[in-house]
Amino acid sequence: MFQLQKLLWDIRKDTALAARFQQEPDAVLDGYGIEGVEREAMRALDFKTLYDRGANPYLLYFCALQIGVDRAEYYARIRGEVI
Amino acid sequence: MAGPTRENGRVVGAFATSHSPGITGFPERADAARREPIERAFAEVRNRIAALEPDALVVVSVEHFTNFFLANLPAFAVCTSDSYLGPVTREMGDFLNVEQHQYPGAAGLGRHLYEFALESEFDPSLVEGGLAFDENFCVPLKHLDPDSSYPLVPVIVNGVNPPWPTARRCYNFGRMVRAAIEAQDEYQRVVVVGTGGLSHWVGMPESGTINEDFDRDFLARLEAGDADRLSAYSQAEIDLAGNGAHEIRTWLVAAGAASAPFETLAYEPVPEWLTGTAVAAARI
Repeated sequence: MFQLQKLLWDIRKDTALAARFQQEPDAVLDGYGIEGVEREAMRALDFKTLYDRGANPYLLYFCALQIGVDRAEYYARIRGEVI
Repeated sequence: MAGPTRENGRVVGAFATSHSPGITGFPERADAARREPIERAFAEVRNRIAALEPDALVVVSVEHFTNFFLANLPAFAVCTSDSYLGPVTREMGDFLNVEQHQYPGAAGLGRHLYEFALESEFDPSLVEGGLAFDENFCVPLKHLDPDSSYPLVPVIVNGVNPPWPTARRCYNFGRMVRAAIEAQDEYQRVVVVGTGGLSHWVGMPESGTINEDFDRDFLARLEAGDADRLSAYSQAEIDLAGNGAHEIRTWLVAAGAASAPFETLAYEPVPEWLTGTAVAAARI
């Protein structure tokens, strides 16, 4: 979970990394060593699963905004209204 | 004979406010009936602070992962720089409707507070530079000090990620801040501002909900000036008002620094700002 939250934070701070994640998520996820459920959830923008597994909701929300998920879509996703 | 001695510093005022981005970034989304009492209360505090002619402001807020991260997350931090950039990016400036600029720092008072804290057996992190502001400071200061004329000592309390410092520890930290101000004479007139809360949920499914009962009970405890009831909050009780409600720790620090009852100048539940929004002043 630390590596996942590190990625969320780095994306918040680094617009180039945010752009790269949108273009080649697997390469970025490889770089952070994120595997399994967390990897699949990040690839699918499944913020609800990450939240349920303990990711900090501030970090999830800020990361989402940086990778082109707007506020309404983020909240729809965190509520499980978008699969 | 010794010459005239300078008096020691005093806490001449203490205030507390919410800092939700909507207050400055998108005020118009809230109905005028809710927005205007809040804006009048901010103006009232701005005028009161100006009348107090402070030499410095100690501003106690949280930090929303703008500077700190889970690799090193202080429970408390005291900042001792002579200037602070805010908002951290131009994009955040656009979002908050605050032009990016440098805020002046009261470096001498910051260093004194840090050293006094250690001698008082508090152990905050030391931040000598590099701290940038987000809505934590930029939103309230746009209303309270629009020209950024007062030198600041920013103090950070962890309000973004559990586990949190206890309510009692926060209140006592505030009492220590007061004692620190009174133990120096470089800054004679000091105003303390706490900023955060009240109830709100950030990034969570409940976002947009407001726990008005929690907020009004919290304000009642402040108005009573009851240190024991303010210090009695458990983490679980605060959770009932959302992850953002943990920012009331900043108000507890201000309450400890004031060591006086508060009056609530405004309280409005504002779903459009996602926050139970309040402005209060200590009866000093």
